[in-house]
Amino acid sequence: MRVVLAIAAKDLRQRLRDRSAWVIVFLAPVLISALMALAFNNNDEFRANLGVVDLDRGPAAAGLTRVLKSPELEGTVHVRSYDSEVAARRAVDAGDVHAAIVVPKGFTESLHGGGAEPVRVLDSVDYGLQAQLAEAVTESYVAQVNADRLSVATAVAAGAQETDVPELAAKAALLRLPEDVRAQGLPDDPLKVISYFGPSMGMFFVLFTVGFGARGYFIEQQQGTLDRIAAAPVGRGALLIGKSVSTFVYSLAGLATVTVVSWLAFDASWADPVGVAALSVAMAVCVVCLTALVIALVRTEQQAQGLASILVFALVLLGGNFVFASGTTPAIRTLALFTPNGWALRGFTDLGTGVRGWEAVGAPLLGIAAFSLVVVAVTALLLRVRRTP
Amino acid sequence: MKNVLECSHLVRRFGERTAVDDVSLSIAPGETYGLLGPNGAGKTTTIRMVCGLLRPDAGTVHVAGLPVNTAAGPAKQLIGFVPQDVALYPDLSVRENLRFFGRLYRLPRRRLERRVDEVLHLIDLGGRARDRVDSLSGGMRRRLNIGAGLVHSPTLLVLDEPTVGVDPQSRHAILESVTRFGEEGMAVLYTTHYMEEAERLCDRVGIIDRGGLVAEGTPRELVALVAERDRVRLTAVGGLTAYADACRRLARVEGAARSGDKGDVVELVVKDARSLLPDLLDLAHALDVGIRSVEIDEPDLEAVFLHLTGTALRE
Repeated sequence: MRVVLAIAAKDLRQRLRDRSAWVIVFLAPVLISALMALAFNNNDEFRANLGVVDLDRGPAAAGLTRVLKSPELEGTVHVRSYDSEVAARRAVDAGDVHAAIVVPKGFTESLHGGGAEPVRVLDSVDYGLQAQLAEAVTESYVAQVNADRLSVATAVAAGAQETDVPELAAKAALLRLPEDVRAQGLPDDPLKVISYFGPSMGMFFVLFTVGFGARGYFIEQQQGTLDRIAAAPVGRGALLIGKSVSTFVYSLAGLATVTVVSWLAFDASWADPVGVAALSVAMAVCVVCLTALVIALVRTEQQAQGLASILVFALVLLGGNFVFASGTTPAIRTLALFTPNGWALRGFTDLGTGVRGWEAVGAPLLGIAAFSLVVVAVTALLLRVRRTP
Repeated sequence: MKNVLECSHLVRRFGERTAVDDVSLSIAPGETYGLLGPNGAGKTTTIRMVCGLLRPDAGTVHVAGLPVNTAAGPAKQLIGFVPQDVALYPDLSVRENLRFFGRLYRLPRRRLERRVDEVLHLIDLGGRARDRVDSLSGGMRRRLNIGAGLVHSPTLLVLDEPTVGVDPQSRHAILESVTRFGEEGMAVLYTTHYMEEAERLCDRVGIIDRGGLVAEGTPRELVALVAERDRVRLTAVGGLTAYADACRRLARVEGAARSGDKGDVVELVVKDARSLLPDLLDLAHALDVGIRSVEIDEPDLEAVFLHLTGTALRE
């Protein structure tokens, strides 16, 4: 045990004397996550300024405006009216509004039968999200209108008088579609950007310690100190554990620094500190396993550096460390499940939105553990094959 | 008296090449044993097997009766290993390096601190104890390299060519230290390709060439092997390799090799140098080799090596 501690303490002392190690594992993640939080912070205050062109002048078009000005959308959607489509287009192009909805002439009339031009959304490439919102609200409203038309048409087909149609249409309009769909299981707390990018950047930079650790091993081999240790009464196991302990402590310290600084200085919030600690420990163990894998795979310091860099970038790109998982394709989201950092980010996201305990970190911990076990198995196999007598 | 080191029929192969071929040697307590041979003769491979860094294909190594192998056995507690290249942590201080290597041998804290101070005094680096290794001169690093192998007070000290690339002053200090280790009762295995070091330091010398131990004895016993011979050194210009080959074919020439720092010397071990000298000069003339000087010496270990192997130590 004393020998293990001596090796670990020596390794840590060397790492902490390396200024670049301080920058990469402690300073850079804090700075980058803070920058990312600043860059994406407007997500917390989403606004959509929408223009409405009412060419219909009927109650159906007025209904759409009422929906846009409803209490549910107050604070998110601001409505401005325009007299013509040309004026609305000009306003969209000038950035005065993010998108505009054009209700065509005869839209209300179409409730009583007959056709009408479709409702159109004028959008801008600069405000895609706001245009999507305008389209969604419009589609929802048009679906309601179509349902009303269907009700009236059904009544007429069943023998209702033509003179009763306006009254029937008004009654149908009072029957709302069950469009209020609620997703079950989603937490109520919004995810703060820093709560995502803090641990995300922490993991990104801590994964770099894979390269540090592997390079350190080959540097020791080159400078002969590894031989010197092997000439002492020190078992391979003690050497391996000693070096692993230093990598583990270093990685954990890096992740802890980022989470604590994100919490204290940038108001990041996670529902469960124990869950944060568990995810951090699991990731630090995983970094140790990855370091061992790189050492088993290569033979020189340069190869170790190269392979570790490729591995780190592949993991962070697939795991979603640079973009929110919701902003990626389903394929990437599936691939993220094959990365430990992808699982850890899932856990941190859940913790950041108020989910607690095993519900938040259970699956991520199992995912990271499974990944680490596979890495350990491959490493053991490689070392067995390459072991020199 | 029981030997500190017993190597028995050591064999080590790397693929088709046999690096060490049936080497047996022993070292008594307080004895300094020199393993003398040119680069690539098998000295370092032998030492790596002695220190448990390399598993022999055949043969055994025992230190104080305990078997040595690549696992962390108790025999390793008795061995102090000083590798050929400086093997230290450049970003740690002198004291931190000594402390770390002492901890590997599980020295209790107080004893470790006492030994670190003693070793610092021994290698004359007490005043630089807090300095980082990368701030030391080459000679100081060499001394510290030896010190790191001494912290745990080994019974057997193994030094692999510790004076290679060292300035004369540091070299003198290293040789003085090694002499003292032997006087204090430590068994020392010392490899070198410097004949004068082996002659000065070693109680016994083993001459190793192409993986095999070709002769063993005290320096005096070994020189006696070539007592009837002379050592001739010809400094010359021209095709000296061809000249050395031609000399080797002459009767009464028992060894010839090109040597010297600039490769401008042909060394010969011959019987009756004075009567052979005209033939050597005629041969030089025939091969268009210009002789600049001729020295005829008493035989030494270098001559023994030339006689036994046909090649020079630093060829």
